[in-house]
Amino acid sequence: MCKDYAKPEEFSTLELMAVCGSKQIGNGEVVFIGTGLPLIAAMLAKKTRAPGAKIVYEAGFIDSNAKDIALSIADSRLGYRASGAIGLIETLGLMLQGGHVDVGFVGAAQIDEYGNINTTYIGSFEKPTVRLPGSGGGNDIISSAKRIVVIMTHEKRKMVKKLDYLTSPGFLDGFGAREKLGLMGGGPSLVVTNLCQMDFEPQTKHIRLATVHPGVSVQQVVENSGFDLVIPKKVPTTELPTHEELVLLRAIDPNGIYIPRLKQT
Amino acid sequence: MEAPVEDKRITLKEAVSLVADGSHIFWGGFGFQRPPMAFAHELVRQKKRGLTIYTCGSEMDIDILSGACVVSRFELAFFAIEGIGLVPNIQRRIREGAIQIEDYSNLAMALRFLGGALGVPFMPLKSMLGTDLLSKTRFRPKKAETMTCPFSGERVVLVPSARPDFSIVHVSRVDKEGNAQIDGIKGEDIEGARAGKKLIVMAEEVVDTDFIRAQPDQTVIPNIYVSHVVECPWGSYPMMVYNYYDYDMEHVRMYYDQCKTEEGWQKYCNEYILSIDSHTELLQKIGIEKLLKLRARKPLPY
Repeated sequence: MCKDYAKPEEFSTLELMAVCGSKQIGNGEVVFIGTGLPLIAAMLAKKTRAPGAKIVYEAGFIDSNAKDIALSIADSRLGYRASGAIGLIETLGLMLQGGHVDVGFVGAAQIDEYGNINTTYIGSFEKPTVRLPGSGGGNDIISSAKRIVVIMTHEKRKMVKKLDYLTSPGFLDGFGAREKLGLMGGGPSLVVTNLCQMDFEPQTKHIRLATVHPGVSVQQVVENSGFDLVIPKKVPTTELPTHEELVLLRAIDPNGIYIPRLKQT
Repeated sequence: MEAPVEDKRITLKEAVSLVADGSHIFWGGFGFQRPPMAFAHELVRQKKRGLTIYTCGSEMDIDILSGACVVSRFELAFFAIEGIGLVPNIQRRIREGAIQIEDYSNLAMALRFLGGALGVPFMPLKSMLGTDLLSKTRFRPKKAETMTCPFSGERVVLVPSARPDFSIVHVSRVDKEGNAQIDGIKGEDIEGARAGKKLIVMAEEVVDTDFIRAQPDQTVIPNIYVSHVVECPWGSYPMMVYNYYDYDMEHVRMYYDQCKTEEGWQKYCNEYILSIDSHTELLQKIGIEKLLKLRARKPLPY
């Protein structure tokens, strides 16, 4: 069957990123989600390829079927047709550390070439220039979920050789480091940005360009990255969203809380 | 025969006056859900100083405590005003050196409360390994430690249990003896409530003990742990309480925009906290019209 793909001028980069994120959720999987784009991605996945996905929010909402957009991971909106409303020991302790979470979505202020993440400080620990929100459940999720999807904007100052602070463990200094330390989860599997998607080379766990978004060149990705990334000989273009996906996506966030509407031209 | 029901009710002002300067406090609520906002306002009005706050993730409530210089230290995992941005007052106070933060993960903090409640000195977990959360310490003599499990040989991180002077939680309903119910998510309040040496339960409603005893399976905090009960409707305003009311984003955004400058924060603090004598007066200022609009539309919990 031929897919009804949208043309690049018909969707925004944020919409593409949300669709990319939704494709990382398998039907029946247990998914840990935060607010923002991951929330939209998970809601889209449930309306498309993964209606049986169980979305868990660390504050305690389990298998949420929210119909309105939540601003907080503790937002009462997430209680709509949820199967449980418990707490952190349940979600991050028993469920996540207990080994029941398939995929977690996280954001990052900085990421390095092994997928390690900073969400705590910009500048030095002694005299930081900006204090970011901190780990929250991020460190727990990245430590123990089977797969991790990172969604973030692609800028040179965010894709760095050395993090200002290592909040959450990617592959640390490369292949085998997680296992050696006793970390349970599988580590980051995909990084979705506004320019491209990146995965990790299996032998080295070094970050690798996977696809470039339509209209973006490999050169552009390289220029906007502060670290070296592995570039395969052939880099495909990211699969475009379908018209159906865009219609569903816009119905999920009709007021453009997380994905502002494209201006009608 | 049942004994007469003990009445643990005190006023918000009385409850806050029990908190001495320099106290260590478990701070309940999670994100936008059930923060003890009215308690924060009263701490500011009574000019408390030098508190250390323990929590997983809190937002505008702890930003107010930081702006008013009530708190000097936090042990926590997260703070921001979700959906809007970084908390403005904490940023400023950190730059001034007035506030220090010891960072943990959410699970680590929740386990520290569980450990305190269980009466054991530390708890093991599988997070924080290999990161600066483990290796960088701000003010604690010892923040966390790794060890090899003597039974399985597995590597684990140990975090110190928390046993603060007070636990402050805001719940859905409670009877005058202190048996509490919480609708919706509990965050880390179940463990946190039991971690403190004294527990003050604030509630949207005080209900008759017959109501509690007709459905004992709904009690998440039994009276045995509770020192004091404070009736405080709209106690989390402008944040939310499940099944009771939604957040007032208009107010939260106004707060966020105004607090970008110290002058703006001082103006907010004067207008909504210091120039007001009580929580009831704040509700009068916000007005019945606005409050009715925010009331949950059942069966929706918001």
